[in-house]
Amino acid sequence: MMSAGGQDKDLNFELNILPILDILSVLICFLLLTAVWIQIGTLDTKQAIGDNSTVSQAKNPPSLWVTLEADGSLQLSLRDIPQAKKLEDRIARTSEGVNWKVLEAKLQALKTQWPELKTSVVRPGAQSNYGDVIRVMDKLKQSSFEGVGISPLG
Amino acid sequence: MRTSFVLPAQRRSPLMDTQNLKPGSKKKSLFRRDLALALPLTSLIDAFSIIVIYLLIGTQSGGIETQVPGQLNLPAAEHSASVDKTMPILKIQKGIYYINDQKVSGNQLSAKLEELKKDSKDVELMIQADTEMKYSELDPIIKAGSLAGIEKLKFAVVPKQ
Repeated sequence: MMSAGGQDKDLNFELNILPILDILSVLICFLLLTAVWIQIGTLDTKQAIGDNSTVSQAKNPPSLWVTLEADGSLQLSLRDIPQAKKLEDRIARTSEGVNWKVLEAKLQALKTQWPELKTSVVRPGAQSNYGDVIRVMDKLKQSSFEGVGISPLG
Repeated sequence: MRTSFVLPAQRRSPLMDTQNLKPGSKKKSLFRRDLALALPLTSLIDAFSIIVIYLLIGTQSGGIETQVPGQLNLPAAEHSASVDKTMPILKIQKGIYYINDQKVSGNQLSAKLEELKKDSKDVELMIQADTEMKYSELDPIIKAGSLAGIEKLKFAVVPKQ
């Protein structure tokens, strides 16, 4: 602070940093408490609703049906593909469960053969693992299937 | 240009004090009080500021905050979409269904979902379930959703890099 005499040696400007530190500490605590640590995403599906499921005149788009058995084996069925016979393929399970590598390869091959194939339906069994169902849907999305649906139990 | 009002001869800084300090030196006792304040506060403030900026940027991701119970182990997926709006959450925990944290029995599901559909025509439903759950527990929701006319179902997942 400047003295009455105006002597320079009495001037000592020292910024009080402790309140700044306090404010920063409070801010950090607040942000840490309010931060969202687990970011979640969603895997979107478009389901057939009430009227859609009834027989209609509209032509069904080409679709791939993936049946997931409780033991982890998969069955792929192609439906409504023009100028192609009905395709059925089976992917046996591995010791660890679903054979993801083979599924990925088969999906890629199907997309290369029929690029118009954009719809897929997953048909899990009652005892199928939810994690596996989601992973199958994820693999379908990865293979550029735009409309992925999930089928209820029969 | 003069940057300080303190005379150079009288200028003392805690940092200088610590530099002058040698083991066994008499100055140790003289400057003990100053040493207490000789913490490198400037670098502390720098570190704190960086943490604050990092946390501020981290919280500005734009996503919607959704509550996920700790006991629920969500499945992981590589091609997930971000949650960009609030929507009703249907949670399945140990075979019990909860719509927006309200317990709902299996046979009430359809009626509750119809209510949601009445409130908003373009309703989307987020389903939170454990990765180890059996599909038979999810099936009633799929059926009830279909009956209620809810087209868009969103399965909550942990995005995988």
